[in-house]
Amino acid sequence: AYSSRTLHLQQSARNMAAARRHKRVAASQPGFLRLKPDLDHSASRIGHKKRVNKNKKKNWNKYSDIQDVEEFLEDVRLQERATGGLLSDKSDDGLFFVDVGEQKKKGKGLKPLRIDLILQPDSQVPPPKDILAYQQPNARKLRLMAQKAEKLAAMGVLPRRERLLQRRRIPGSEKPVANNDPARAFYDLWRPDRPDTADPYYLEQTKRRLVKRPEKLNVKPSLLPAVEVAAPGASYNPDFTSHQALLLEAHETEVAKLKAEEKLARQLAVRKEDLATEESVFREQVEGLIEEEEEKLEAEEDDEGTAVGPTAQTEKKTEKQRKREKADRVKELQKKAERKAIDSRQQLFQLRTISAELRRREQQTSVRRTRRKDQQEREKVQPRRLGKLRFQAPDLDVQLSDELSGSLRTLKPEGSILKDRFKSLQKRNLIEPRERAKFKRKFKVKYVEKREFREIQ
Amino acid sequence: MGGLQKKKYESGSATNYISRNKARKKLSLSLADFRRLCILKGIYPHEPKHKKKVNKGSTAQRTFYLLKDIRFLMHEPIVGKFREYKIFVRKLRKAYGKAEWGTAEKLRGNKPGYKLDHIIKERYPTFIDALRDVDDALSMCFLFSTFPRTGKCHVQTIELCRRLSVEWMNYIITLRSLRKVFLSIKGIYYQAEVLGQIITWLVPYQFAHDHPTDVDYRVMATFTELYTTLLGFINFRLYQTLNLVYPPKLDGKGEEESRAESEEDYAMDSERYMEKLSALSASLVRVVSTAEAEEAELDHFPAEGEDGEKLAERLKARQDQDRQEKLFEGLKFFLNREVPRESLAFVLRCFGAQVSWDKSLCIGSTYDVTDETITHHVVDRPSLEKQYINRYYVQPQWVYDCVNARMLLPVEDYFVGVTLPPHLSPFVEEKEGDYVPPEKLKLLALQKGERPEQEEEEEEEDNDDSEEEEDEDQSDDEDELKGMEEKQALGKASSVKVTPGEAKPVNRQRAEQEAKAEEKRLAVMMMKKRDKYLYDKIMFGKKRSVREANKMSAKRKALDEASKANKKKKLKK
Repeated sequence: AYSSRTLHLQQSARNMAAARRHKRVAASQPGFLRLKPDLDHSASRIGHKKRVNKNKKKNWNKYSDIQDVEEFLEDVRLQERATGGLLSDKSDDGLFFVDVGEQKKKGKGLKPLRIDLILQPDSQVPPPKDILAYQQPNARKLRLMAQKAEKLAAMGVLPRRERLLQRRRIPGSEKPVANNDPARAFYDLWRPDRPDTADPYYLEQTKRRLVKRPEKLNVKPSLLPAVEVAAPGASYNPDFTSHQALLLEAHETEVAKLKAEEKLARQLAVRKEDLATEESVFREQVEGLIEEEEEKLEAEEDDEGTAVGPTAQTEKKTEKQRKREKADRVKELQKKAERKAIDSRQQLFQLRTISAELRRREQQTSVRRTRRKDQQEREKVQPRRLGKLRFQAPDLDVQLSDELSGSLRTLKPEGSILKDRFKSLQKRNLIEPRERAKFKRKFKVKYVEKREFREIQ
Repeated sequence: MGGLQKKKYESGSATNYISRNKARKKLSLSLADFRRLCILKGIYPHEPKHKKKVNKGSTAQRTFYLLKDIRFLMHEPIVGKFREYKIFVRKLRKAYGKAEWGTAEKLRGNKPGYKLDHIIKERYPTFIDALRDVDDALSMCFLFSTFPRTGKCHVQTIELCRRLSVEWMNYIITLRSLRKVFLSIKGIYYQAEVLGQIITWLVPYQFAHDHPTDVDYRVMATFTELYTTLLGFINFRLYQTLNLVYPPKLDGKGEEESRAESEEDYAMDSERYMEKLSALSASLVRVVSTAEAEEAELDHFPAEGEDGEKLAERLKARQDQDRQEKLFEGLKFFLNREVPRESLAFVLRCFGAQVSWDKSLCIGSTYDVTDETITHHVVDRPSLEKQYINRYYVQPQWVYDCVNARMLLPVEDYFVGVTLPPHLSPFVEEKEGDYVPPEKLKLLALQKGERPEQEEEEEEEDNDDSEEEEDEDQSDDEDELKGMEEKQALGKASSVKVTPGEAKPVNRQRAEQEAKAEEKRLAVMMMKKRDKYLYDKIMFGKKRSVREANKMSAKRKALDEASKANKKKKLKK
């Protein structure tokens, strides 16, 4: 196939005369058919010749006449586009048909859509093949490598990358299944492992081993048992006395609660003398209307009284005074020292009382110590104050005598076990008592009557 | 004076504690996540001794944690998972907001999860440690397994709890280690002994749901998450110790047998196995055949420094236990449809009974009502129309009372329609001098082997007698002591006189007792003043408790008499 560019290069390589000759050769190719017959008037254009120097390449391009070659090639391309090849190469059947008059078309619906026609490619030249689509870069090398890998795999040698991947897959690093997943695998958690011999610090730093849990954390914060068994009176069919005992207990707690409430109410009540009387209300109403002048006068008087400031008294002491004071001081000190000496001498005779005193004190401290110890022991089973709120003991679950059913079938369970468990956790200091967070609306609710609704009304 | 001035709150308790909010910020977790982490890791708030110092002068009430604990928390890998989860939720929300369903689906597929295995291992380094803490886990699992499968918490969690609790019950049945049962108005308390650990748990009645609003469900769910993991591991290990197959498998024979025609009505194929397990009527498959395992007799090695008496004691305890384990062996029970099936089946099977129920009541029934070999029929309705002559019809309380009494109680008190004797708590252990209810006394007498008289009147009298005896026993010592002292006092006061001696018959036992009393009295005399004070106090306390007990029993007597009189009146009418 001709390419205009290669042809052009050929053209410029030769001289003008040779080019013209070539043109003529091209145009007078044996058996070549032109598509546009009227273009053949190249001879008429060759008349007047301008002489130019041909020692410059610029002139070669400028003054060589390649019109006819261009036209010829243009025509070749046109033929290829329009008919898919050179006309001269086509057989007669491809160029002509026998006219037998108008024929009836068969299927009307078979006519293609116009848009499809528009979208049809204009040219008959097939698109050039993309060579890269058919060939692989480095194909040979890759093929050889694959062959080698196959051979190695047959021998059981994995490639490096695969090896590295497998090494990285640590048993713990797989995606964990959720704890409540029924498909979870089971294994003995406490089976004896072989101990790691590596440096523990290294293992900890590289997160191969978890940091050791301090022993102190395994101590329970309370001595109370996890499940406190209900009192015998809480049996579904209790015996009389234990039931009464439980009822009494419940009653006492209720009474205590009531008392506390009453006390609070009493303390918060408004005192009688604080209530406004008619007189005080009246006085308040006329406040500032009557006694204004008197107050002003008083205020003025006060100002006068306070105007006099304190006078500083800075008289110097005389020599005599100072000496006397010093002597007094010395005397006082001497007296004190003497007193002390006498006292310490006297203590010798008070030995019995002193020792008794000492004994008394020791006893006191020991009593205090035991009391403190007891207190500490008691605190171990008490709920601590762990947050804003104190632990609120749950109400005792009791059934009154007439609520007792006496049979399992008619038993009505009392209290909630969920609450019992929750309170037990709080009581054992495992969680701090909290209040349920109140729902706080961020924005005010706006009520709007919808239009449809309004229209109906 | 040299040295830098010390600043306040830069050392001591102020630096040992950290407030909750600060800890939360340090871990960069949300409050909910922080709370969850603390629960999972077993880190609890502390109450400092000097709150004001810790709180840097403020007296506001705050929650404090030990700083070292929080530092320890920072090493926890789960913290990272929590953060990942937070990000996951954010991404998911975004995807939903933008209506990118594909992205959302992809995200859901990569939902980050975490395991608690390492935490369990860390918190319970040995299996026994874990077993000591199983009370809580059991109570929680049994509670959660009764929740309705709606809202509140994940259905998967509920199902897991159910599975674990059923596994546990099956284990206890196979081990036969149930010791006590107490039916309270709240729920049923069970106590079992597993590998030397006393384990108590609470099971709610079947239809007692109300969801209290003042309980933090999130906290409870977190605890449950931890406890289910723990219980899963414990169950696995326990099954291994008994050579049982895990996950539990029903005995082949039982399985074949119960593949009956009506099974399809109860459960879908996927659920049937679990349902049958939870019916508790069949035994489990062992890795090693059962015959060999049970034939082996325990060898008795006297522990070092243990004398024969102790050994005998131990042996006796062991025998008692064996006898108790076979309490219902050979008995065949049938449960009527109104009794709590699961609880009764569990208790009965724990002591070797065979249990069945109506085929339409639950899956896994093994024989019919019409079976002639049934020995006991558990009924909880006032009367029954059709009765078989060769079986006892008892109320369910009989079973529980038998278990607590460790013997088969006379069935007469528990017949259908009879007013039941009170159900006593087996968890009460009376100390010397405490008030003991007469029913318990009767029970003790029964346990000793005395048969009560058949007629009611005599029985009651007998009962009273035994009560008095008991009281006398308790107050005997004191009385004797007093008498001796009085005698002594008299002896001192009497004038000196010589009379011809009379040979008194020497009562050796009495002499011994007297000698003992004398010794005691001398010891009391030799006591230091302080000790004496304490001693007097103790004795006073004892006497007081005895007095109170006497008062209580007198009251009871009065009440009984009154009720008897009433009955008689009614009868006369």
